[in-house]
Amino acid sequence: MVGLSVGEKNFIKGGIAQDLRNDGRKRLTYRPIYVETGVIPQANGSARVKLGETDVIASVKAELGKPRVSHPDQGKVYIYVECSPTAEPSFERRGGDELSTELSIALERSLLGGKSGAGAGINPASLLIKEGKVCWDLYVDCLVISSDGNLLDALGAAIKAALSNTGIPRVQVREAASSDEQADVDVSDEEFLQFDTSGVPVIVTLTKVGRHYIVDATSEEESLMSSAVSISVNRHGMICGLTKRGGAGLDPSVILDMISVAKHVSEQLLNKLDSEIEAAERANEEEP
Amino acid sequence: MASKTGSTPATYSPSPATHKKKRIPIADVDWVRPDSRGFYQCRPAYLRTGAVSPAAGSAYAEFGNTKVIVSVFGPRESKKAMMYSDTGRLNCDVSYTTFATPNRGQGSDKKELSSMLHKALEGAIILESFPKTCVDVFALVLESGGSDLPVVISCASLALADAGILLYDLVASVSVSCVGKNLVIDPVSEEESYNDGSLMITCMPSRNQVTQLIVDGEWSTPKIHDAMELCLGACSKLGEVMRSCLKDVVTDLKE
Repeated sequence: MVGLSVGEKNFIKGGIAQDLRNDGRKRLTYRPIYVETGVIPQANGSARVKLGETDVIASVKAELGKPRVSHPDQGKVYIYVECSPTAEPSFERRGGDELSTELSIALERSLLGGKSGAGAGINPASLLIKEGKVCWDLYVDCLVISSDGNLLDALGAAIKAALSNTGIPRVQVREAASSDEQADVDVSDEEFLQFDTSGVPVIVTLTKVGRHYIVDATSEEESLMSSAVSISVNRHGMICGLTKRGGAGLDPSVILDMISVAKHVSEQLLNKLDSEIEAAERANEEEP
Repeated sequence: MASKTGSTPATYSPSPATHKKKRIPIADVDWVRPDSRGFYQCRPAYLRTGAVSPAAGSAYAEFGNTKVIVSVFGPRESKKAMMYSDTGRLNCDVSYTTFATPNRGQGSDKKELSSMLHKALEGAIILESFPKTCVDVFALVLESGGSDLPVVISCASLALADAGILLYDLVASVSVSCVGKNLVIDPVSEEESYNDGSLMITCMPSRNQVTQLIVDGEWSTPKIHDAMELCLGACSKLGEVMRSCLKDVVTDLKE
């Protein structure tokens, strides 16, 4: 954790109240985003996202699996986050575990939509190969390399970039002789299909410091927060998930105000992120 | 990944015709909920404190088929010797009995629920009132009948009050599911399994503060407004029921 003196705390708080933060940003300005895709050759898709000093990697691996009995028409997506102690000493053992679960849960809630699959960034029905028999299991693994606040937004952006970079092998189902037999599938080595990632939402975390809220807080600013609300918004301006952190209670009207601010901010973030992902993909193709 | 860039990026959807699920015709205006409740009608609640005698405080809650029991121990010395802290610690644990669900031992993720319970309660407890010590909250879901987490949270705050832990206010929690175009309050398991989105609020009714808010699925802003209003209304009513439950125990004792 960041140790700050009373003077430093007041300085940061005062800056936020005057809409001029320590690094010269306004309250609702993000740090520059840097995206690099295809960083892990063993994965089906991967991306590295840097948001100021915060640095994360996401990788997507697809494996053949069996659909859940309760949802035979859907594939499965798992999201795991690992906070390595190399990023920050406090991530060692339990501290890291707790943060990892918290982040994974928040990401699953923001990106995987409701039980029926509504609002999901990746349509789980598109991962199905044969109903009740075979589907793709997507394992999204994230690693926090360096942490300077706002991990959730950075992880969300990294997952979005990694999914845009993901190629799933084309699969042909051979007709099984009887229906209860294990389905026979042909996995192509040459043909890959890409996801439609236009529906994947971005996560905007609004951190409340004093009476104001800011986006993309650094860890210094996060240490002063009373509460934070992470809102994921997709291209259509629909809210796909919301998670609150921090113990302090919030007035319901403040939450509604935060939602409308987040919607506004998310538009800019989505455009910025999309162009960054596109640039990164283009850079990948140009390389031999 | 040079191999895939050659092919034109097609959207990956191997089987587009997958809408054969035995889904209840929700588009119908006269769709009836599985337990024939009104859309904005909560299940009947039964609350009782003092369910477990050795605990410092405990409560039992029954909302329809959802039955939970929560016991609170402490403030007591922290088992895990940790650093000195001038505020108290809250330790939450939620577990399911193996027979709580139709399929044996298939309760929701324990870790997730425990951390949600912790987050919902920590804002309501005056942690400064018991420095260096730890309060343990153990919740057990005896029968899972939907809206488990809100019931656990409400029941836990009742147990905390029963244990005499200083609270800013009781914490009431209610969830809403979005099914098709309709909002249904206090969903049962069946409704939860096919909902298009869910929203859970935990709030302190008399302070009008939201301690925890969770949304998943797809929501438009006006719908979130409606759902939050609905939940907050239900929370304040539930808060009154919880308050009267605590008062009943005292009046019983006097008699």
